[in-house]
Amino acid sequence: MAKPAQPKTGRRDFLKLTAGAAGIVGAPWITKKVEAKPSTIVFARESSYVKNFDEHFQKVLIPAYQKATGIKIDYQIQAAGGSAVPQLVSMVENKSGADLAWVQQEWLYRDALVDVSDIAEAVGKEQGGWYDEIKLLSVDNGKWKSIPQANIGQLMVYRKDWFDEAGIKQFPDTWDEFLEAGIKLKAKGHPFGMSMGHGFADNYSWLYPLLWSYGVTVMDKAGKKVALDSNETVKVVEYVKRLYKEACIEDCIGWLDPHNNKAFLTSQISCTNNAYSIMVSAKRDLPDMGKVIDHALNPKGPAGRFHSLVPVTHGVFAYGPDPQAAKDFLRWIMDPKQYRPWISSGDMYFAPYLHAFDKFPDWDIEPRVKPFQKVLETGKLTSWPAPANRAHGAVINRWIVIDMFTKACTGTPTKTAIAEAVTQLKQIYG
Amino acid sequence: MGRIVEASRAPALEAHAYRAQRSGRFREFVERESVFSWLILTPPILFLLLFLGYPFFYGVYLSFFRREVTGPALFVGLGNFVTLAHDPIFWQSVGNTVKFTAAATVLKALGGLGMALVMNQNFKFKAITRALLLLPFIVPTVLSTVAWQWIYDPGLGLFNRLLVTSGLTRTGFSWLGNPTMAMISVIIVNTWRGLPFFGISILAGLQTIPVEQHESATIDGAGTWDRFRHVTLPSLLPVIFIVTTFSVILTFFDFQLVYVLTGGGPANSTHLMATYAYSLSMGAGQMGLGSAVALSMVPVLGLLLVLLTWYVRKED
Repeated sequence: MAKPAQPKTGRRDFLKLTAGAAGIVGAPWITKKVEAKPSTIVFARESSYVKNFDEHFQKVLIPAYQKATGIKIDYQIQAAGGSAVPQLVSMVENKSGADLAWVQQEWLYRDALVDVSDIAEAVGKEQGGWYDEIKLLSVDNGKWKSIPQANIGQLMVYRKDWFDEAGIKQFPDTWDEFLEAGIKLKAKGHPFGMSMGHGFADNYSWLYPLLWSYGVTVMDKAGKKVALDSNETVKVVEYVKRLYKEACIEDCIGWLDPHNNKAFLTSQISCTNNAYSIMVSAKRDLPDMGKVIDHALNPKGPAGRFHSLVPVTHGVFAYGPDPQAAKDFLRWIMDPKQYRPWISSGDMYFAPYLHAFDKFPDWDIEPRVKPFQKVLETGKLTSWPAPANRAHGAVINRWIVIDMFTKACTGTPTKTAIAEAVTQLKQIYG
Repeated sequence: MGRIVEASRAPALEAHAYRAQRSGRFREFVERESVFSWLILTPPILFLLLFLGYPFFYGVYLSFFRREVTGPALFVGLGNFVTLAHDPIFWQSVGNTVKFTAAATVLKALGGLGMALVMNQNFKFKAITRALLLLPFIVPTVLSTVAWQWIYDPGLGLFNRLLVTSGLTRTGFSWLGNPTMAMISVIIVNTWRGLPFFGISILAGLQTIPVEQHESATIDGAGTWDRFRHVTLPSLLPVIFIVTTFSVILTFFDFQLVYVLTGGGPANSTHLMATYAYSLSMGAGQMGLGSAVALSMVPVLGLLLVLLTWYVRKED
């Protein structure tokens, strides 16, 4: 939490000094309310897979902010892999921990976040405007409760060499072609590994887009009526059953988020859905494999091509001792002077939801990263088209839709698996 | 002069004697068994109240409210329990918890008994073997479970490598990718981790059995099996009972290994009540509902504690 500075001089002297200092070094948006200026602001974020990104923040941005304002930023990196949300919930419940954070699953605790509409509007105005889809997450009852920092793109990651060997020169364009390719590759000892366990990204990032591409959504737009109960859902579940049985490694049904990275990097699978962290690890530790990894968009279905967004949004906790100081910092890091080099340092692993970055030159540095830009155009939140609210959080954290597929894959009749999921959805949404 | 000095020292001496008398009385008071026992008991009781009592009673309170993260608490009476009664995942997690606890406890008890019997023999490197057998109990669960993830890996894992290279099977198993195998896998890890607790406790029990009992049984013509059945086992029963009860409690509440190994999947086949309570509270933010799941475990715990207390009193 923000720690107030200890006054060493009289209050009047202190005011004169700090007001003078703020006038000289502070940018215009830094608040003039200097009496309660904190000495430290705590910023919690899940560990990034891109080392440079965290290093740039720690070695460039933090010292620069301290130099400009005298405020130290305590950057608390949380372990990746699903433990950040419980930590955030715990922080919010205890009203302690951090002043601002990457607010994963923010629908759980929006009440604890301050209104940051002023920052969002200013940032949007100066950087080409926001992508519409992200507003469904960050804007609640007309107020911005978080500032979208970026999207972590999830795409098909595949071994181009093995696809070539199987005579598949172009990554499959449709889900049917995807199944065909998987059958061929499994026959050659290179199965697909599509995560379907109790993770939080690599399962949702292909199963939900698959549903959407057949015109199926979990709920209706208002979030009142369950929409999953349809004939198209039956088709999708049947498709996943075939894909799992005929094209995938058996283990993938129980995989958590790190498991497909491990299986891919140990050459056990030829394709999975993931962020480009697999390529980062391969380039660093397995250079030969690093050369033959490529990325492709999710295949399309009868209703189109879709991707799942994995948003990184920053929010300021209202209960902190000085939320305004945390807001000032948030505004500062979103200023193009700081924000653009920060995004560059992450090699576009973090793709901004701002249109000013549509023609950002860094997108062209690595051609295999370029497809991730498309995720922003066709990406949806997992709640889509319904609001991203607490009920949606319950669906995600109880893996209702994911387990509909896994139950069907492990012997439950398709219609029973769908009916069970629908019953649970009705119970959750009341 | 001497008298004057004596006279001037008199009040000081009186005060000293008074203080000694007072401190004597205080000491006498403190050393009374009824007082001293409470003095010793108070710090742990305060500690337990603070770190176990408070969360427990807060959990009981929450289970009667609809309470979401940051939201107000709305009294719903038994509403959360009614919701759970209609929740198939809850019932699946109850069934899983019972299966997991029963299988792991039986395996640990049998394995622990075997381990203790072997450790009670004299052989070379006995001390170091005993120390090594304690390792699973000493290594933090999260760390050892990460190692087990590798052991269960379908392609590179130790188990599948052993099975395939020894020619026992042509292909390995999917240890975590099949609901039945996933449950077996988590039971194996729990058993591996809990064996030393049984082994060492039963070994301690074995060493209290007088050698004379075995000698007289041998003179009476009893063989190895008869001595085990009629001398060793009856003497060990109190230890086995207490260790099993503790183990049932610990296994029933197991959380870490399932959370790290499977997250409760696939298809909730390894979701235990503890992991489900955690998912609801800390993941979905439904504090009331999550607390209700946790509270549903208490009757089992209560029953076990009653049994344990009854047994211990009977023994006394």
